[in-house]
Amino acid sequence: MDDKSKKLAPAELNRRKFLMNSMGLVGGAAVAKTAMAEEAFLPPAVPSWTRSLGPGVLTNPYGQPSKFEAHVQRRNVEWLTADKIASISFTPLADLKGIITPSGLVFERYHAGIPEIDPSKHRLMIHGMVSNPIILTMDDLMRFPSVSRIRFLECPANGGMEWRGAQMEGVQFTHGMLSCCEWTGVLLSTILEEVGVDPRASWILAEGADGSHMSRSIPMEKALDDAMIVYAQNGEMLRPEQGYPVRLINPGWEGNTCVKWLRRLEIGDKPWYHREETSKYTDLLADGRAREFTYEQECNSVITSPSPEKPLSGKGKGKGKYWVEGLAWSGRGRIKHVDISFDGGVSWREAKFTSVVEPKSLTRFGIEWDWDGSPAMLQSRSVDETGYVQPTYAQLRAARGTNSIYHKNAIHTWKVNADGSVSNVQIS
Amino acid sequence: MQMAVCPMFRLASFLFLMSSLSVSAEPGYYGYGKPASAEEVAGWDIDVRPDGLGLPDGSGSVEDGEWIYEEQCAECHGSFGEGVGRYPALAGGEGTLTDDRPHRTVGSYWPHASTLWDYIHRAMPYTAPESLEDDEVYALTAYVLYLNDLVEDDFVLDRESFKDVVLPNNRSFFRDDRPDTSNTRCMENCKDPSSIVITSMVAAPPPVQAAPEPVAVANETGLATYRKACALCHDGGIGGAPTLGDAEAWAQRQKKGISTLMANAINGFQGEDGVMPPKGGFLALSNEEVEAAVNYMLEQN
Ligand code: HEC
Ligand code: HEC
Repeated sequence: MDDKSKKLAPAELNRRKFLMNSMGLVGGAAVAKTAMAEEAFLPPAVPSWTRSLGPGVLTNPYGQPSKFEAHVQRRNVEWLTADKIASISFTPLADLKGIITPSGLVFERYHAGIPEIDPSKHRLMIHGMVSNPIILTMDDLMRFPSVSRIRFLECPANGGMEWRGAQMEGVQFTHGMLSCCEWTGVLLSTILEEVGVDPRASWILAEGADGSHMSRSIPMEKALDDAMIVYAQNGEMLRPEQGYPVRLINPGWEGNTCVKWLRRLEIGDKPWYHREETSKYTDLLADGRAREFTYEQECNSVITSPSPEKPLSGKGKGKGKYWVEGLAWSGRGRIKHVDISFDGGVSWREAKFTSVVEPKSLTRFGIEWDWDGSPAMLQSRSVDETGYVQPTYAQLRAARGTNSIYHKNAIHTWKVNADGSVSNVQIS
Repeated sequence: MQMAVCPMFRLASFLFLMSSLSVSAEPGYYGYGKPASAEEVAGWDIDVRPDGLGLPDGSGSVEDGEWIYEEQCAECHGSFGEGVGRYPALAGGEGTLTDDRPHRTVGSYWPHASTLWDYIHRAMPYTAPESLEDDEVYALTAYVLYLNDLVEDDFVLDRESFKDVVLPNNRSFFRDDRPDTSNTRCMENCKDPSSIVITSMVAAPPPVQAAPEPVAVANETGLATYRKACALCHDGGIGGAPTLGDAEAWAQRQKKGISTLMANAINGFQGEDGVMPPKGGFLALSNEEVEAAVNYMLEQN
């Protein structure tokens, strides 16, 4: 290498000398970093990586993101749960592009940790009011005709910490119990045909093989409509956190109904009223009554940039043109419109869709904004194909009070401050 | 629980599915898998319904429940069901559902007693799910009902007496009737700009920092195993577990000899302070992983 140093740009040469001199000195690296960024890497200089070889194939037999993306991580909120075994982590929405959530960034929710299941030892039992109760191996399951569909997955508690007021620092925590993947598996209806369902049957109990034996009652109507038994996500087998080797996906419905590590489906004629559909995942109203079996995730949206994690800063700091973008979704079908307000909801402009628009999927929207540099209140409001318009906080609280925990889908406000930083606010 | 099966419904179900699906095949069309025998189903079929379907033979009293509860539940849920730390409370909260801060428990919120039997049986005690005998589950269910003043102290729960237990909040639930809001898609002059007030706000956060470089850990397996299987009790001293980094407690224990500590961690043991479950309840761990975790724990002193 050294004999090639004559070809280096003068600045690069200086940096090398500087690096040699500062070797072993604490702080040297930091100084060198600045020097590197300013001196040697930018045109007209040619950076070192353009004049050398990198590592070869199979350096990472299973590829990893660049180390410069190490900040893009799932995170949790310590005070939410007693420990990390029955807990939740959030997807870093602000850093994601398009509509597919990389498998390693899909939010996590478990009630007894992640079981380690050897797929050759896993079994799915289907029994109850059927003519042929059966036990399937993973190989059996994967022989059935398969389908692949892009669908979002959302915990009904997403945003639940904001019912009483703005509380969380960033979009990862206000909306990050949300992900979207291409799921591959067998339609539940295919399996139900195979076992022969008693015409009097109307409910199915889905149960997991983890220590919590997670269980939810699913109406037959949903099972025959679009429920899927999936074994793959984004082109590869499910991640352990996502139910490896097999889980249920009820498109558009509460994430909790999409039982992971699925071991059993029992066909019956009444719901079971288990803990996760009574103590939890019921919506308490102001008058003390509670809605039960609130399966659908209603139409919702959020701006992911700007956001607290993506301030208007750097080179573009201050007034100027910005691309404002975010995500919209509805458990009842396709997104029809997303409107954006920059003045706290006084006037609205329709955003464009920048992704495919699939039913019960995340949909990405964007709109250009010419910021004049003064504080602004940004909001997004989505409309789905049923005509339902995402509600305001005032409307949602008038209907439900503030103690519902689940299904908070109100229009969210980001305040862009004069310095380009972004705060989570709620406004009247 | 297994339902009675109508022998004639093969054809009926075929027709039923024909009407609701575009593609339809006869039951057994693919023939994959194997038939589930009654015995196999019985081993996994643990669910219980509000009408009592699924409750097994057996019984348990409030009195028996108290003993088991103190031994296996109180450390997390509190002797009176009040909940320890962030662990859920199992009792109290009557009449608070319309309060500013409602307190949802078995007594104040749950609609069905069957849920309690089912949940304790399937998921508790937290670190050893499905370890309780049916009679113990009956006794614990009776005791949690007693903690909520719903049964007397001489109550015995079985399939029959179950029918008389009605939880107070039973009638407050109703089926989903959303949408319950109707916003409109206004585009101009939707509200008076001068009426906009910030009602709550979180200060803008500092920019997200790049994740710190992972610090090299000599005993990575130990750390990973500890976090996965041991931290639950040993981080906070749950149930009498010696706390990580409590040098004095660990020095005392080390006097038994490292091999005893290893054996006790692998096989589990009942000491004076509490119960150390085999491998912390994570039976899928190898002995080597548990040993690495013990080494890690000893290194932290
Ligand atoms: C090591 C701590 C721990 C012990 C011991 C424990 N539990 Fe739990 N229990 C929990 C946690 C954590 C949850 C919540 C789990 C979740 O949300 O998935 C819970 C939930 C419950 C619930 C549901 C509460 C609600 O309001 O939804 C009941 C009932 C319960 N436990 C009963 C018991 C009984 C009975 C025992 C003793 C046999 C027991 N638990 C032992 C930690 C514990
Ligand atoms: C459910 C709670 C729980 C979990 C999980 C748990 N422990 Fe323990 N552990 C205890 C308790 C309680 C004691 C103290 C028992 C006594 O001395 O009375 C203990 C004691 C120990 C001891 C000292 C044994 C002795 O002979 O004095 C070791 C070593 C230990 N645990 C290792 C582990 C390891 C390794 C794990 C994870 C694989 C783990 N524990 C997980 C509760 C737990």
